[in-house]
Amino acid sequence: MSLLDDSRLVVLVGAGGVGKTTVAAALGLESAREGSNTLVMTFDPSMRLKDTLGVGEAARDREVRVAVDTPGRLDASLLDARKTFDRLVVRYAPDEDAARRILENGFYRNLAGSLGGILEYMAVERLYEVARENRYDRVVLDTPPARQALDFLEAPDRIIDFLESGALRIALKPWFDEHGHLRATSRLGPLGRGVEGFLDRIVGLDLLREMAEFFQAFGPLFDGFRKRAGQVQELLRAPETSFVLVAGPGEERVSDTMFFARRLREAAYRLGPIVVNRLHPRLEGSGDGARLLRWLGERDHRGLEALKSLIPQDHPIIPIPLLPEEPTTLLTLEKISASWCQA
Amino acid sequence: MTLQDRLSRLKLLVVTGKGGVGKSLVTAALGRILARSGRRVLLLENDPRESLYQLLDIPPSDGEIVRAEPDLFLQNLRPTDVLSNVVREHLKVELLVRRVLASPVYQHFVGGAPGFKEVAILGHALRVVRGLGGAPEIDIVILDAPATGHGVTLLLAPSLVSEAIPHGPVGHLAREVAGFVSDTERCGVAIATLAEEMPIQETIELRGALDARLSRQPELLVVNGLYPPLSDADRQDPRLGLWRERRRINERELERLGEEWDGPKIELPLLPFDRGPDLLTALVRRLEPALAAPREAP
Repeated sequence: MSLLDDSRLVVLVGAGGVGKTTVAAALGLESAREGSNTLVMTFDPSMRLKDTLGVGEAARDREVRVAVDTPGRLDASLLDARKTFDRLVVRYAPDEDAARRILENGFYRNLAGSLGGILEYMAVERLYEVARENRYDRVVLDTPPARQALDFLEAPDRIIDFLESGALRIALKPWFDEHGHLRATSRLGPLGRGVEGFLDRIVGLDLLREMAEFFQAFGPLFDGFRKRAGQVQELLRAPETSFVLVAGPGEERVSDTMFFARRLREAAYRLGPIVVNRLHPRLEGSGDGARLLRWLGERDHRGLEALKSLIPQDHPIIPIPLLPEEPTTLLTLEKISASWCQA
Repeated sequence: MTLQDRLSRLKLLVVTGKGGVGKSLVTAALGRILARSGRRVLLLENDPRESLYQLLDIPPSDGEIVRAEPDLFLQNLRPTDVLSNVVREHLKVELLVRRVLASPVYQHFVGGAPGFKEVAILGHALRVVRGLGGAPEIDIVILDAPATGHGVTLLLAPSLVSEAIPHGPVGHLAREVAGFVSDTERCGVAIATLAEEMPIQETIELRGALDARLSRQPELLVVNGLYPPLSDADRQDPRLGLWRERRRINERELERLGEEWDGPKIELPLLPFDRGPDLLTALVRRLEPALAAPREAP
């Protein structure tokens, strides 16, 4: 079977270390082989797709052609959160001065890159850029590893919540007078005073001042953020988008896999095939030397059976065997996609 | 001095590595060995879904410090608790605490502020080894750190935060924690990995980042899940081709690692046990002699 069906956006999710990036690359290759112009995007900070597809630093700025002879074009890109953020600032700031004020702000330079959700949000912005340009028949999206939450997918909602929560209004109000002193304000009532007093005591004024300047400079950009975040959410929940859940082998991973599957369904994303990666084969015959390998094969198949018993019968679960080589060449990626085509 | 002597002198050991390489197992195994050699050890986790308790065969810690063995304690520090405890300490009035925690400014700025959580986790470890905050007397905290990349972020956070916030209680805490983690006599790093191409690549990168950004070397590397060498007879068995090839990959990657790292390294075999107390016991049995082997003076 094919993992692709007619999805135009395929999103890979799963825990760390299960081989999401490898499966993404193999899917991209299969898609291009079927004749679709395809982009594989990865956000993994370890930049592993770079190794697998042989794309270098240039892929941080733009899509890079993968050297492979397929009917459809295969491109790859790497998300660099900082560069995407900088590009957004330049593109959407009202004028050059405003852009410079943001880019030179100390808070932005040092800390904003990891402000709660912003990193994942940049991934969403990048996806928006690519979707809007509409240069590909299919986009395969690798996501950062997540254990607890689908952080990446929740980022747009979090940002929208944030924009609508009133926090921004508080951040944007004139905290500081022209001498750089914190204004004593009573407009927000006891809660505002309590929070302000707390912030003052706990983080000190310097950071607060830089943050306020940053958000004041950034304010005009936020409306566009909200609009785009909403559109990306629509795209992620569109019928032509599917989520491929990649899982590790073995019984101990089943609860992780079920957790992801449940979260995806609850959030109304379309769950496509579940891929159980790196399965040890079942070993025939006897012999003492084979004991370890037999045990591994039994363990992995026990896990597969346990998963099957928990997932509705008609939902595709695709086992991919552990290969005798590392998935670092295009040839190996082909072997991987061949294994699900046979399934 | 043996590697175990060296580890025993530390106040904090951060165990790091990419996802799925057995970081929690290494954390638990090192903890048990040090605890049984006379140190009082706290294993610290920071995961919404805690897992160390399963290896130690005890109920979940649920955020509290719980005893797993006579000298081995366990705590899963919930990320949200870490920060709200800092708030609680500075705002003694519970009503105000609740209002601050519920306010959008807290949730989006302070709760999400970069580096605060990391400073709070490390700050908690520092308080524990100092015997503060009602904790039992602990000699060493072993922290099961988030995956690679984040491991460096974790250790860098205190100095970044203390630069960004020179004053106030958070700035003060960050500075103190930065001093603690940069002291190689008190704080060490262990890296867990697998002998496969990607994990080894990330280990090499992580080691480089530790060196370049924190001027420190890991205390040890633990290479997990190695396929054992095949006997001469088994090498001829065509059914074992996968094993042979995976072993070859392990050897090649160990060699590549060896070119980049000549410090302490412990190799652990793939063992036929499900993840759980039996696997931990089997790993401890193999880790113990390796830690007790003599080691050159640093």
